Amino acid sequence: MAGENETTRDTAGLQRAGRILIYIPSWIAAATLFALMVMTFADVILRSAFNAPLAAGTELTKIFMAIIVFTALPLVTWRGEGIVVDLLDPLFSKTLARIRDVVIDLASGILLFWPAFRLWDFVDRTRSYGDTTEFLQWPLWPVVAMITLSTFVTAIVLVLRGVVGIVRPELITRRN
Amino acid sequence: MLESVLGFAAVLALVFMRMPIAIAMGLVGIVGYSQLTNFKAALSMAARLIIDTAQDYGLSVVPLFILMGLFVNKGGLSRELYQVSYAFLGHLRGGLAMATIVACAGFSAICGSSLATAATMSKVAMPQMRKYGYADRLSTASIAAGGTLGILIPPSVILVIYGLLTETSIGKLFIAGIIPGLIGVLFYLLAVRYTVARDPEAGPAGERTVWRDRLSALRGVWAVLLLFFVVIGGLYGFLDVWPINLTFSPTEAAGMGAAGAFLIALSRGNLSFGDVREVLVETAHTTAALFTVLIGAWIFSNFINLAGLPEQLLEAITTLGLGPMAVMFMILAVYIVLGCVFESLSMLLLTVPIFFPLVTSLGFDPVWFGVIVVVVTEISLITPPVGLNVFVLKGVVGDVSTATIFRGVTPFWIVDILRLALLLFVPWLVLVLPNQM
Repeated sequence: MAGENETTRDTAGLQRAGRILIYIPSWIAAATLFALMVMTFADVILRSAFNAPLAAGTELTKIFMAIIVFTALPLVTWRGEGIVVDLLDPLFSKTLARIRDVVIDLASGILLFWPAFRLWDFVDRTRSYGDTTEFLQWPLWPVVAMITLSTFVTAIVLVLRGVVGIVRPELITRRN
Repeated sequence: MLESVLGFAAVLALVFMRMPIAIAMGLVGIVGYSQLTNFKAALSMAARLIIDTAQDYGLSVVPLFILMGLFVNKGGLSRELYQVSYAFLGHLRGGLAMATIVACAGFSAICGSSLATAATMSKVAMPQMRKYGYADRLSTASIAAGGTLGILIPPSVILVIYGLLTETSIGKLFIAGIIPGLIGVLFYLLAVRYTVARDPEAGPAGERTVWRDRLSALRGVWAVLLLFFVVIGGLYGFLDVWPINLTFSPTEAAGMGAAGAFLIALSRGNLSFGDVREVLVETAHTTAALFTVLIGAWIFSNFINLAGLPEQLLEAITTLGLGPMAVMFMILAVYIVLGCVFESLSMLLLTVPIFFPLVTSLGFDPVWFGVIVVVVTEISLITPPVGLNVFVLKGVVGDVSTATIFRGVTPFWIVDILRLALLLFVPWLVLVLPNQM
């Protein structure tokens, strides 16, 4: 009995630490989104009132979008917030649904590694071509590298979801 | 043709197994593409799409409009919108239901989600209608139906997704939604009138509000109304006059909307740091989910375009000697059938890559088709057997049976079909505003 309590306490602590850790990317996404909002607002005001638009606005918007989407993606995937069709849910018993979800998660994760490896080639290519943004002349490869890293992490998360679905299904959340 | 049909069947099979739509469409798209070229080319196509989509300037409109909706929502708009609508309409027979329709239209216009509107407005409007002895079937139906209205009134997330998928101007799509959206409001008000004309007991009149109170009720919402007009007016070019001289791109309109909504919510003092963080995180997550489905849908449509499906469909239609309108009727029939089982976004993602090239090559206007598709998918939100809005409402209200709500909703979807027919035969209603931009 005591051992069981200890395990619960341990997992609770681990879960808390894990929760903080997995939220960091989301906070980065949130901060970037706020910056995007402020920048777009400022751009319009500057253009209208002072006839001085932000020259780097467009390319910063592009970089911000990549950060918002790809820092959030692993957590969105872990929490099962992807858009799914749940029409046939009533037809699956609890056990069957669990097996189905494990199979889908594992398969999706493993399959995602292929595009991820291909993305990796694009990181190399962007880097060797020395592609930069137009106005600020920032190198583009770190953005592509971030997208690639996030795709790898997402693939790993999907596999992890599948594995956790086998050993600790109560930790898995799904949309609806 | 065979590759495309097999591909579509495979996507359907996978999504029914609850595979995320993005992964199902992407997977089938890559496999199909690799059959027509080779595996490496298919993976390169997918990787290129992922990189380009992530850095697409035009896509920034998605998080900014979602953000605007959530901030307005946090500002506590739902109750105030209802109070204003009640102040003007409450004294009529069926007036509370009419007020609900108008408040729902206003709320969902800004929030952009039918389901969220039904869930939010039911908490505000349902107790009032109960208090005045409204029949459950009328009160629940007006909320469920009202929630579908805002999807056409800009800014609408689903029209943004259509615009992105088909490279149609988002600004034009927004402006095109205005008249059909207002027709929707008008027709729903008529549906309420019809219901109370048949059964006066279903919706007794409330108390009349004096003009002074009406104006003071307006005070609660003027800031949000102003914001709405700045965003849409800026998009349409109304603000391009001295001394402002402003025309917004969709992204700029969305940025102004989000920042404005943030300031409104902040000035009302009901926005904590935790709220802001929650809204931002939720928006980022929704955006990420929407981006993945867009990427998946694009990969899939690259495959079916390479497979030549649009040309083959066109050829089949020419062989059969079908006119454009006959084809349009068939497409709408497909939507109504699919609408019984899919929700709007999934349906849009799965069908637009197939129908859009066909429809435009038959000479239909892409903006008009976008509005028609959205109207037809929204009808599905309140029709049996799936009618998602009805189930959301059932979940919130609890003690009303699904059958009662569906019965009450009948006049509403009948006028929806009328509206669809009107827009189908009088495309002018959709296109008159955007064509002047």
